[in-house]
Amino acid sequence: MTGDTTDGQTESATDSDPGDVATDGGDEAAADGAGIVPPDGETPTWSERKQRSQGLSRLTYEYFERSRREDQDLRQQSSYVERDVLAFPTWPHETVRNLALMSFFVGMILLLSALVPPHLPGPADSGSTPAVILPDWYLYWSFGLLKLGPLNPDLSLLGGQKLMADRTYGVLANLVVVGAVAVVPFLNKGSARRPVEQPFWAGVGVMGVVFAFTIAVLSVKNLVSMDSHLLFDLAFLAPIVCGIIAYSVLRAMREGYMFDLNRRYYRLRPPK
Amino acid sequence: MADEFAKGLGILVTAGLGWLMIAATYNTPTFEGRQLAAPNPDPETLNLYGQIAITLKDLLFWFAILGALTFWVVIPAIEQARKARSE
Repeated sequence: MTGDTTDGQTESATDSDPGDVATDGGDEAAADGAGIVPPDGETPTWSERKQRSQGLSRLTYEYFERSRREDQDLRQQSSYVERDVLAFPTWPHETVRNLALMSFFVGMILLLSALVPPHLPGPADSGSTPAVILPDWYLYWSFGLLKLGPLNPDLSLLGGQKLMADRTYGVLANLVVVGAVAVVPFLNKGSARRPVEQPFWAGVGVMGVVFAFTIAVLSVKNLVSMDSHLLFDLAFLAPIVCGIIAYSVLRAMREGYMFDLNRRYYRLRPPK
Repeated sequence: MADEFAKGLGILVTAGLGWLMIAATYNTPTFEGRQLAAPNPDPETLNLYGQIAITLKDLLFWFAILGALTFWVVIPAIEQARKARSE
């Protein structure tokens, strides 16, 4: 726009300027917008996104604008039922993205298996008993529960005898642990989205995870270079200490936490 | 803060992958013993590319560690200090 045009010409030129077409509906209500509104006031408008003119933000803008445009065309062409959900079509958007991710991970697996193949030991010898006999690693916790002999109380009534054998006691301990895991979902329905929202239950969770680890270490106590009595005590004290630390840290984090983050989620599942 | 974390992580995994590839090629004489950390082969037996790769391996290793530490520890510490000073 040159400076020597008159005011009237400037105004008319502005109205018909082809470079300034508001593709996003502009300020006025668009009749063909099919009711697409930003989810809340914090979402940038399409004009704001369009002003970012370089690099990744530009690419992001073009990608979303294209997708929005296709979405709008679909809504106009069909008897599309208006919903509160904006999403991307499976083809091509999701499929191309998933293929790219899949190629990356398959290539990474091939690369690693070619570079550092795991050591394959010789065939098992059924004629000799191995020195160390252990279950698979994910069952170490259960194996550790069989070693709770020191916790098995002896009754003076029976003259210092134990009520049940240590191995029976260990099997019953499995029932206690499985029962505790089964009861937790009934005590807490899980309406928290993040640990800060319910520090107590987050602390309970940390306690459980740490106990699963320490009891697994206890199951291989003859392989751990530590006093076995100390290891036994640590197996039960460390979970409690870690749970208390997690609880107090999360409790302290509540002060700066934006509970607003959950506004949309709480609309679907209101907290108690 | 999240940006700094992503930068440090990117340096760590990218340089670490480079180190892994070179170490798996030059420092893994057998798959049934010490992998990746075996001593370097004799530089006399290597061609020019091999010598470059051995040098690059050390560079990548320290770049992975120092780069991640820079973005996770040093830069946040400087920013904290600057913020504390301006208050």
